[in-house]
Amino acid sequence: MSVNRRFVLKSMALGSIAGVTMGSAVRALAAGTAAPSATAAARPVLALANEGAAQSIFLYGALAAGGPRLQVQRVGCDPGFMLDFERQLRSRQPMRVIGLLDDASAALLVDIARSGGARMQWLGQHTVEAAFSRHHLLDTDSAEGCSQQFSRQLQACGAGFSLNEERQNGPIGPRRMSGPSRSAGQSAQWASSIGYLLASLGTRTTLTAPLAPVASTPITGSFVSFSIEA
Amino acid sequence: MPEQNNAVLPRGVVQEEFDKAVEKFRVLLGKESVLVKADQLLPYNKIMLSVENAAHAPSAALTATTVEQVQGVVRICNEHKIPIWTISTGRNFGYGSAAPSQRGQVILDLKKMNKIIKIDTDMCYALVEPGVTYGQLYDHIEENNLPVMLSFSAPSAIAGPVGNTMDRGVGYTPYGEHFMMQCGMEVVLANGDVYRTGMGGVKGSNTWQIFKWGYGPTLDGMFTQANYGITTKMGFWLMPKPPVFKPFEVIFQSEEDIVEIVDLLRPLRMSGTIPNSVVIASTLWEAGSAHLRRSDYITEPGHTPDSVIKQMQKDTGMGAWNLYAALYGTQEQVDVNWKIVTDAFKRLGKGRIVTQEEAGDKQPFKYRAELMSGVPNLQEFGLYNWRGGGGSMWFAPVSEARGSECEKQARMAKRILHKHGLDYVAEFIVAPRDMHHVIDVLFDRTNAEETRRADACFNELLDEFEKEGYAVYRVNTRFQERVARSYGPVKRDVEHAIKRALDPNNILAPGRSGINLDTYKKA
Repeated sequence: MSVNRRFVLKSMALGSIAGVTMGSAVRALAAGTAAPSATAAARPVLALANEGAAQSIFLYGALAAGGPRLQVQRVGCDPGFMLDFERQLRSRQPMRVIGLLDDASAALLVDIARSGGARMQWLGQHTVEAAFSRHHLLDTDSAEGCSQQFSRQLQACGAGFSLNEERQNGPIGPRRMSGPSRSAGQSAQWASSIGYLLASLGTRTTLTAPLAPVASTPITGSFVSFSIEA
Repeated sequence: MPEQNNAVLPRGVVQEEFDKAVEKFRVLLGKESVLVKADQLLPYNKIMLSVENAAHAPSAALTATTVEQVQGVVRICNEHKIPIWTISTGRNFGYGSAAPSQRGQVILDLKKMNKIIKIDTDMCYALVEPGVTYGQLYDHIEENNLPVMLSFSAPSAIAGPVGNTMDRGVGYTPYGEHFMMQCGMEVVLANGDVYRTGMGGVKGSNTWQIFKWGYGPTLDGMFTQANYGITTKMGFWLMPKPPVFKPFEVIFQSEEDIVEIVDLLRPLRMSGTIPNSVVIASTLWEAGSAHLRRSDYITEPGHTPDSVIKQMQKDTGMGAWNLYAALYGTQEQVDVNWKIVTDAFKRLGKGRIVTQEEAGDKQPFKYRAELMSGVPNLQEFGLYNWRGGGGSMWFAPVSEARGSECEKQARMAKRILHKHGLDYVAEFIVAPRDMHHVIDVLFDRTNAEETRRADACFNELLDEFEKEGYAVYRVNTRFQERVARSYGPVKRDVEHAIKRALDPNNILAPGRSGINLDTYKKA
């Protein structure tokens, strides 16, 4: 199945996420996911993404975990959006924002999050080449489960990877992991995994991210993932 | 006691002492304004440098809202020997972002001190607090239809005048040399005194934002790129909005053309015919700003070959050098100056002139015209997508505004960058006599090997330029100590003597511009 992000967004706008866009696999996942904790469940999750196949796959994973709590917004380097976003953060309305963006949008958004007084549990920098991906994570203890599961899922999907993880308020040296390339079939799985894990952050989920749809062309490039809490 | 390995503490400060200080900060500022949790500090630790984030991790961040609170913070810092790193908006990105210079420093974030205290449209000046952004000022000016315009750096909307001016940043209008347009600042010193520069010390004075020099020694410059005080107010001059604004671009096809471009521009800048800070952007700066990506053309690692750059020029119409300038004034003034400018380029016989009417909404022309007319935008952030990977360090040597010098610097920089597999992504910002040669060293931080190369490249750029008598005017927090050495031992001795006199406990931003009483040894 090839993913078309417009299709994903349109379908979500119709409010029928599992049924229309992702079919029975997602419904099964949603049903199998343990109930989220009260705090996490109370917060709507906003997923920010810009155009692109990786972002579509990220949303695929996020949808599988977030279900109807998840809203999606498209992002560009638009001052209007950035300033609105800052105002939204400063309004102190409880909100969790996850996303997968290009470097330029993310540089802005993460900084806006800082000045808006938001908390951040996860900041990932991802570079993806044919059959190999590199990941640099800056995260907090509350994202411990996410990073562990992420590395397991990278191992499982078979594409080569390297992962450096730095823990905020943690030791000076980063944690490094890597895995050899065994197959390129699921090379875009990392994006689905991150979407799933970030949308699940703060909830009690034991399931692994859904298998990403196979993209029609290799997904390469540079991306930034994040989880922000207002 | 050694620094704990499982927590971030200021250098030389033990946990117990740190905790005492934090408790006092909470009493002074309120619990909400003292951030110590990891998820509160992580956003302050996003860096674009060639080192791990841990090297620039803060131990805490404080937000203050009043001058009295800033005074209280320095008092507590003195009591517990806590080093603080002050930021206003923290948006100088390739110069270090919001993260502190050294691991463990406490960030004092002045974002909540964001009052526009005064805008005087007769005398054309503003007095603002450090958290005020250019975007905020622009909205205020537009909403109130004020007849003035702003000058700002490319991150415009989200950056602020105090931070940019204190770091001696530049903009693209006739008021683009921002420190030159600064007039009167209020500074909280390390001992808690509040010092006002220029006419600011005179009771009842209404010339604080009018006359820079005051009486006796003029100390404003001493507080820029320095760690002698915390600026809590700053005045600066605003340019009256001109009745006519005429931006234009001149596109040159060959790298060698830089010699003639600069030699042609110099007299036009010195005479004021072209009054603004002109930009001469390289192809790749243009490409990034137009939101092209390297991967659109090439996926092989290493620098982008000239053949690919030539192809990009052919595909997009961009030049090897792309000059952006503007004329300002009445229609009569602009008409006269336009004739002088176009005649000069005609005589040169090179360069294709593009007017606003011809360019329309095409990028990068549109955002350049906006920057030159004081309209904020975020277009230039596209540079971060050129190569991707989150690494960006601005290398900014100063050059004479002499063609042969600019060409020499451009060739040197390109050779060194290419040696390390990185691209020459550069612009010259043209003053009458000097050029800020700004090079964005872009690299992939997920790639440890490339990050090491970027670090080595930056060091080599500094070393090789220094051998030729060049130095940078500003640098990111990773290289501030290194650059301070370029300027010689006497300057450093003087700077440290001042530091000892004003901040004997070394609490204000140790390491800023290489000034640090804990580590400096007189040569």
